[in-house]
Amino acid sequence: MAASPATATAAPVGPGALRRLIRHRSFLIGATLFTFVVAMALLADWIAPHPPNQSNFRYRFGEPNDIYWLGTDRSGRDVLSRVIYGSQVSLRIGLMVVIVTAFFGAIIGSIAGYFRALDDIIMRVMDGMMAFPGILLAIAIAAALGPSELNAVIALSIAYTPRTSRIVRASVLVVREMEYVEAARAIGAGHLRILLRHILPNSITPLIVQMTFIFALAILAEAVLSFIGVGPPPPTPTFGNIIADGRNYIQEAPWISLFPGIAIAMCVLGLNLLGDGLRDALDPRMKVER
Amino acid sequence: MFAFIVGRILAAIPVLVIVSLLTFVIIYFVPGDVASELAGPTATPDEIEQIRDRLGLNQPFVTRLVSWYGALLQGDLGHSFLLNQTVSHAILERLPVTLSVTAYALVIVLLIGMTTGIIAAVRANTWVDQGMMGIALIGLSLPDFWLGLVMIYVFAVVLGWMPTGGYVEFSESPLGWLRMTTMPALSLALTQVGLLARMTRSGMLEVLRQDYVRTARAKGLPGWMVVGKHALANVMVQVVTVVGVSVGILLGGQIVIESVFSLPGVGRLIVGAILRRDYPVIQGGLLLTATIFVVVNLIVDLLYAYFDPRIRYGR
Repeated sequence: MAASPATATAAPVGPGALRRLIRHRSFLIGATLFTFVVAMALLADWIAPHPPNQSNFRYRFGEPNDIYWLGTDRSGRDVLSRVIYGSQVSLRIGLMVVIVTAFFGAIIGSIAGYFRALDDIIMRVMDGMMAFPGILLAIAIAAALGPSELNAVIALSIAYTPRTSRIVRASVLVVREMEYVEAARAIGAGHLRILLRHILPNSITPLIVQMTFIFALAILAEAVLSFIGVGPPPPTPTFGNIIADGRNYIQEAPWISLFPGIAIAMCVLGLNLLGDGLRDALDPRMKVER
Repeated sequence: MFAFIVGRILAAIPVLVIVSLLTFVIIYFVPGDVASELAGPTATPDEIEQIRDRLGLNQPFVTRLVSWYGALLQGDLGHSFLLNQTVSHAILERLPVTLSVTAYALVIVLLIGMTTGIIAAVRANTWVDQGMMGIALIGLSLPDFWLGLVMIYVFAVVLGWMPTGGYVEFSESPLGWLRMTTMPALSLALTQVGLLARMTRSGMLEVLRQDYVRTARAKGLPGWMVVGKHALANVMVQVVTVVGVSVGILLGGQIVIESVFSLPGVGRLIVGAILRRDYPVIQGGLLLTATIFVVVNLIVDLLYAYFDPRIRYGR
């Protein structure tokens, strides 16, 4: 496989890292963008001007105006309100995927990295899973399980866990050779204790960085799943569903598809910038010259 | 080199075995009764049982697995539930569309991605660099299928320069093919252009600091030759890595892009099969895409060794 080599370093997360973060320009821009979308999701009930599924059949395909800032769709539903509520669903799916992939990635990666006997088998299976383009694997699993929010989370988690596993494994491979691990073993600590207390906490940094990128990937992938009809079923608003609602009316009502796409771009751009900033701050050795 | 090539090819075999196994397992564990769905709501239990028998759905897991592999080794991917064709035929018929658009997108990625990456590195920390990297990062963050829709609106609906969708074979009319595939290829390529530009830039910056680059400059070589010949050769390893990853993403992206632009390729075949639960086609499409991806990565590994002799001799 020709994946880019993971960073196998673990810088301590100290006050220095925090200072670097606050001074990091792209981190701040990313944080602002992402916070904006998160705030939109959290405050949906208060800021959305209309209920997301309320139809107004007298104003279908309505152009943006004073009442409907971003226009209305095929059944006269407010696009702005749907995007706001859609951010709730899309972010929730992204967050769940991040938590699940980080959890299983940490378990699988540390087992593979620590118990060398299992390494070959586990990593071959991961290689096999990574031989599918991630989105394709997710689509297939989601299609097999049926369209729902939970199934989208399961499908995306299965598709992206190999990535987190590889990252954790790479850093565990380095940390396990450290002297303090040897010292722990010498005083008779068991495997579980060594793994949980000594190895994992010191190999978590690359995983944290990767989590922001997986969050971004998951939001993009969720949109694809919804768009082709294997995500949360309509009328649930998700970014992908709203874009799909407008795809056949691109000529008459381009605003339906336009705005949810911009919301996705804000989320993903925000997360990518955040991730770049985190990587530079937590892992100065990886810093890309700028 | 020969031993290296053989070794790499042998290493790809277990991956392919796992890929095919996964493909089988995903579809095997589909919840719900495929047979009764296929038979339709008015079918009698007898008819459903017949379908189940015909498709071999009554067989135990191992029997089905063995017969799946048996057929697979003979190149038989089964028969589509709905298309009245074999799966391999349905796929092979549509493969040229998917492959040609992917290749087109890849050419765009390489041309624009590497050029911007190199320019940004040479002009590091100027507004040119920052502007280019800003655009690259935005490109990296856009959903490709949405970009496709926006391009349809701008270039087909408003400006009327391009058709909204459809396909013309290259052999029929190369110009028509270009008209039909340029927007899909561009919308697929843009995200990967951003990625490659970023990687090329950081690789280039690293190389430009090396002693041999300074030597090349010191002996009076013109700047374009230092960058284009001496430095670029060492950035190629990174470029090739990105390309390996990109091909997978481009192939995955095809699935949606083909539906957006009404291209009659494998991606649209798979989406149609998903919506109508035509499992043999889904299975075949998955397997084929993953196999292409594995082969591409094999080629990438070999290119690696070509660009970086240390890899060839290291192992």
